[in-house]
Amino acid sequence: MKKNKQTHPPLFYAILALLLLILPAVLVDGGRVWAQEEAPDAATATGSPMHPDFPLLDAAGEHVLAGDRAVSTMTTCGGCHDTTFIASHSFHADVGLSDFGAPGSAGDGLPWDSSPGLFGKWDPLTYRYLSPEGDGRVDLSTPEWIQLFGARHVGGGPAVYSRGGQRLEELAPVTDSPETQYVDPDTGALGPWDWEASGTVEMNCFLCHTGQPNNEARRAALESGDFSWAATATLAGSGLVEAVDGEWRWNAAAFDAQGNVVAGHVEIQDATSANCGACHGLVETVGQEPLTADDLQSADAWRTRTTGQLYSPERLLNSTLNLQDKASLSRPWDIHAERALNCTDCHYSLNNPVYFQQPDAGEPEHLLFDPRRLALGDYVYRPLHEFAKGQSAQGTLAPELDNSLRRCESCHDVEAAHDWLPYRERHTAALSCETCHTPVLYAPAQASVDWTVLGSDGNPMESWRGMASDGVITGYEPALLARENGDGSTSLAPYNLIASWYWVYGEPARPVPLRDLRTAWLEDGAYAPEILDGFDVNGDGGLDEDELRIDTAAREAVVAGRLEGLGLEQPRIRGSVQPYSINHNVATGEWATKECRDCHGPASRVTRPTRLAGYAPGGVTPTLLGDASTQLHGELQVRQDGALYYQPQTAVEEASGLAPLYILGHDSVDMVDWAGLLIFVATVAGASAHAGLRYFAARRHRPQEEALRTVYMYGIYERLWHWLQTVVIFGLLFTGLIIHKPDRFGIFAFRYVVEAHNVLAAILLANAALSAFYHLASGEIQQFLPRPRGFFDRAFAQAKFYVQGIFRGERHPFAKTQQRKLNPLQQVTYFGLLNVLLPLQALTGILMWGAQRWPELTSSLGGLPFLAPLHTLVAWLLAAFIVMHVYLTTTGHTPAGNIRAMITGWDEVESVPQPGEVEGIS
Amino acid sequence: MKAFKYTAVLGLLATILLAGFLLAAFVSDDPAPPEDAWAYIAPTAAPTDHSALLSGPFESGPAVTAACLDCHEEAGQEMLRSVHFTWESDPVMLPGRDAPVTIGKKNQLNNYCIGAAGNWKRCATCHAGYDWNSTDYDFSNPENVDCLVCHADTGAYGKGEYGNPAEGVELAAAAQSVGRPTRANCGSCHFNGGGGNAVKHGDLDGSLTFPAADVDVHMGGLDFQCVDCHRTEDHQIGGHMISVSATDENEIACTDCHDSAVHDDARLNSHVDTVACQTCHIPQGAVREATKMTWDWSTAGQDLPEDTHTYLKIKGSFVYEDNFVPTYAWFNGNADRYILGDTITPGETTYINRPLGSIDDQAARIWPFKVHEAIQPYDAGYNYLLVPNTAGPGGYWTEFDWHQAFESNQENSGLAYSGAYGFAPTVMYWTLSHMVAPKEQALQCNDCHGEGTRLDWQALGYHGDPMEWGGRSRTVSGGAEE
Repeated sequence: MKKNKQTHPPLFYAILALLLLILPAVLVDGGRVWAQEEAPDAATATGSPMHPDFPLLDAAGEHVLAGDRAVSTMTTCGGCHDTTFIASHSFHADVGLSDFGAPGSAGDGLPWDSSPGLFGKWDPLTYRYLSPEGDGRVDLSTPEWIQLFGARHVGGGPAVYSRGGQRLEELAPVTDSPETQYVDPDTGALGPWDWEASGTVEMNCFLCHTGQPNNEARRAALESGDFSWAATATLAGSGLVEAVDGEWRWNAAAFDAQGNVVAGHVEIQDATSANCGACHGLVETVGQEPLTADDLQSADAWRTRTTGQLYSPERLLNSTLNLQDKASLSRPWDIHAERALNCTDCHYSLNNPVYFQQPDAGEPEHLLFDPRRLALGDYVYRPLHEFAKGQSAQGTLAPELDNSLRRCESCHDVEAAHDWLPYRERHTAALSCETCHTPVLYAPAQASVDWTVLGSDGNPMESWRGMASDGVITGYEPALLARENGDGSTSLAPYNLIASWYWVYGEPARPVPLRDLRTAWLEDGAYAPEILDGFDVNGDGGLDEDELRIDTAAREAVVAGRLEGLGLEQPRIRGSVQPYSINHNVATGEWATKECRDCHGPASRVTRPTRLAGYAPGGVTPTLLGDASTQLHGELQVRQDGALYYQPQTAVEEASGLAPLYILGHDSVDMVDWAGLLIFVATVAGASAHAGLRYFAARRHRPQEEALRTVYMYGIYERLWHWLQTVVIFGLLFTGLIIHKPDRFGIFAFRYVVEAHNVLAAILLANAALSAFYHLASGEIQQFLPRPRGFFDRAFAQAKFYVQGIFRGERHPFAKTQQRKLNPLQQVTYFGLLNVLLPLQALTGILMWGAQRWPELTSSLGGLPFLAPLHTLVAWLLAAFIVMHVYLTTTGHTPAGNIRAMITGWDEVESVPQPGEVEGIS
Repeated sequence: MKAFKYTAVLGLLATILLAGFLLAAFVSDDPAPPEDAWAYIAPTAAPTDHSALLSGPFESGPAVTAACLDCHEEAGQEMLRSVHFTWESDPVMLPGRDAPVTIGKKNQLNNYCIGAAGNWKRCATCHAGYDWNSTDYDFSNPENVDCLVCHADTGAYGKGEYGNPAEGVELAAAAQSVGRPTRANCGSCHFNGGGGNAVKHGDLDGSLTFPAADVDVHMGGLDFQCVDCHRTEDHQIGGHMISVSATDENEIACTDCHDSAVHDDARLNSHVDTVACQTCHIPQGAVREATKMTWDWSTAGQDLPEDTHTYLKIKGSFVYEDNFVPTYAWFNGNADRYILGDTITPGETTYINRPLGSIDDQAARIWPFKVHEAIQPYDAGYNYLLVPNTAGPGGYWTEFDWHQAFESNQENSGLAYSGAYGFAPTVMYWTLSHMVAPKEQALQCNDCHGEGTRLDWQALGYHGDPMEWGGRSRTVSGGAEE
């Protein structure tokens, strides 16, 4: 782009110096100037109190009245501000011009994209394609692009400069260049465009910096090709200028003797949300005309139409829109709008010293605030018109500025507001704020657009979500996709998915120009007979929505044939899925998703499918656009009804390389549950069978009467830790079961159960550690150590007792004593339990809990998708152990004897006293 | 053995208790169950069925009162001290005056029907007494008190001229129906102030007899009666109204029941020292029935098309409004008051009353008001507002003669008439405290801040929107404290 070197006359410097003296003292935009005795008028929506009177100048710097010339913002505003700097430092003006290149060079977008911005990036929703140099078939030339896309372009950039950086007026009229040609909309014939006559569209300061810019008139001027008058038209209705017989006439009475605009005609102000809304989406302000559903679906309301976002402070229940269950919706459309924030509070000018943020890198650690920043006067002279931005999926422009705005967490303290949330760090790492705080969009959003067929009005078939067929706005839950954040992390964030299908032709591929598509479908405003033959199923001579679909090869061939007939080679259907980021329409916690089971249950919010379209034209499964900084975490499925769905998936490894999600309570590995259940049931069955056999055996073989005596078997601490562990383990099994299958235990509050599980686990660990210390310190640990020598003999003897001797009323092969409480089988079982199962369970549990604190460690050890099923399996084994353990306690002299011993400490044992035993007094 | 068993059980219990306690500590984190609003309301005794006690027949209102006083011995003397009967306050000092004055419907004027003096035939219909027909009325006779207007079923009792029972009222039946005053009892006068339903207050009208929850959360959503908040002991009824009470005594406050830090958001709680609850929670006045916003007496007496809401020959022309946006002003509970005989500047607006307080007054908060503007008669010779005889014999409403209306009322009102009159603009403030909207309809940040237009910050004394310029501690000179 050509950068003009501007030279300033001495008078200019004098004015500038004066301004610089005055401005810094009092210029206020959010400036906190408390202590003034005489406060200036507060800046209000209607005009900055500081802005001086100014004349309107034409491009040559002459007063507009002098020759009834179009106003030039560059010279008018350039009297004080460095407009050359502003226009050349604004991605709003540039919209991709400076990155314009050959098709396919722009990145991961579509192969025919020429730039990452509005000027050169093809969008299936707007369809029209800005033709690159050398294309045989021109869809849009540069002047036509201004006519069409200028409605949502502030001017400057490609509306002033050519792709090569020349001023458009200075371009040599090359006959085959899309920059100097114009396609006759009726005939399709190329003709020259007279840039001298049309002029160019300067960056339009009035559009964003006046209270009532006349956007209608501006757009009309653009559409009619009066490019240089677009800025003038923006002032229509202010009393400064009016259209007389199609010519703009300045009103001399609106200017004073010095040529300055008389106050009251146009107030210069900071850009308000309403200014931004003119191009970006619906913004509702106090006292505005009530909205209708048509407003929401208008192509002008870009963000609203594509996502359902609407920036308004109004409570939904006060809305005039036909919202379902409106009376219950007391939340405002957007909490930040309600809290009186403007777009520019987050999307500020990046050199505005009020908002200026130090870049994170390169700051000494000891420095919290660096007061050295731009003086207000310098800022006013050269306000950077690069605005802080996030990183929305379709916003591929100016990637170097991605995430320059304050994020949610730069203003909000997440910890302070989420102390109720278990697993907080895990949640905040896995989810973006919007995922929970923008749970529902209460406006229709586009779901699909099908350009493979055309309605009789020449427009594509569209479908919407969030609105019932009777016009009631039901709202919709956005799809949750993994967003690749600026810091390299990924987190789930809400998106609207828009599927689109369209014809492309040739090699390299280009979208079929709308003109050709319409010619293929329509003849003299009606469907071509060939088309009717192929599509008119009911033979009524017209095509309704059910007929307008390419669902057979024959139908595809009909259209393809017609396109080929127009000289388009290899016409074929392609499909795209565009994710549209949702970052606004934020709700307070009261309205946020916070019921655990919304996600941690079988019908998890995270895996809810999104219906993309009623069918896939031509059987083409659309692909996600490659430059969307997000990926699909699942698959596109055509269901039985023929509709195309996006089905997110969790807990599965994906080729995408995204870390698989494992959601407690939603995900489980069925095999683990079945295996665990089998082991558990087998244990119960085995114990029952054994018990039954014992029962019948006991009736045949009266046990031998033994001389029993009572000894003090279990000390008080042994009993205490045993029973504490009992309670805790039962608690853990129970709470674990609830967390595992929350849908089966609806009466329990998931989040308390999670907390309880964690607390119980902590008690278990503490208890285990204390008892380990006790056993080590007292030497009791020996009880648990199987002795290697002759172990197998002894184990075999014990096993033989359980399968044989016990039924014959034989004595236990190993007498139970205080020194030797455990038989060899018990020893090996406990050895395994204490050295394998419990540590494994503790470790997996700690790692699962630690997924929020040391996510790298957890993921390096398999992550939740591995750890969680393992934890579940071990839990089943532990449960089975308990059954066996309890059953075996009944194999003493009396079934309840061992249990009583563990309660009272006193046990009845056989034979003679062992040395050192304490004898009972009973 | 016994001793050991005991230890073991104790150990087990302790273990279970420990685990249980830890569990409970996490589970009992739940917020307390919603509080019952009625818990704040003093319980009332079950009503006594008076049908057997007051068999009648009664010849007159005072006869009923005498019967009441047979049992309720103190009630008569209590009522003689009640402003509902005296229509006059205790003497108060007003700013800029040397001597205390009394204020009441008895001796002052407003800018609706102007003054009761001489017009008892109609005005006394809402006096809690019988047969007030002259300046000589006996305010010391307890039998002049009308018990029934507050205590009888409004379906069985009503008042007519001079405050006497309406034609056809069966006094025995009315007496037998007595009980605790209902919204209908209070509303029979307070909903109809200014001569008809919804005319006067802007926050009190017939829609409150059986209100929907969105009209008033307390009376609608919770079925509160007036006296649930206007707590009454010994017939001294709580509450006051800026139109007749110039001081902040006997106030009823939202915080009598509600915690002032009731909001979840600390920023909202930080408003309560500066903004009255009513300001946000009564976003509109007159949510159902339109209320009178202006009254121009100067156009009375003409034979123009009549309509209750636009023009009446006897009263002049009016503008009614429903769902009006209140006027906001600083108010510390005290008010200035035009006192009968005060001179006015006829070309300028005279404030019949005016809320006191300013941004510098720490006791003042921003309140919502209905502001009623009128053009009403004054004496062009003496330059004070006049109280015409309207409803009395020979009054304006029958004769349409202003001279006669002023002349004939000189004794009743105590205002000499010079023989020349004119019409002067006046303004009267009415606090809005009823028709509290459900919280979902309360004002939001943006209604006042940012682009919001509800509050004129500079008129209130701020440098600008306090969201950006700082609150009043920043604005008030010398008020450095936060």
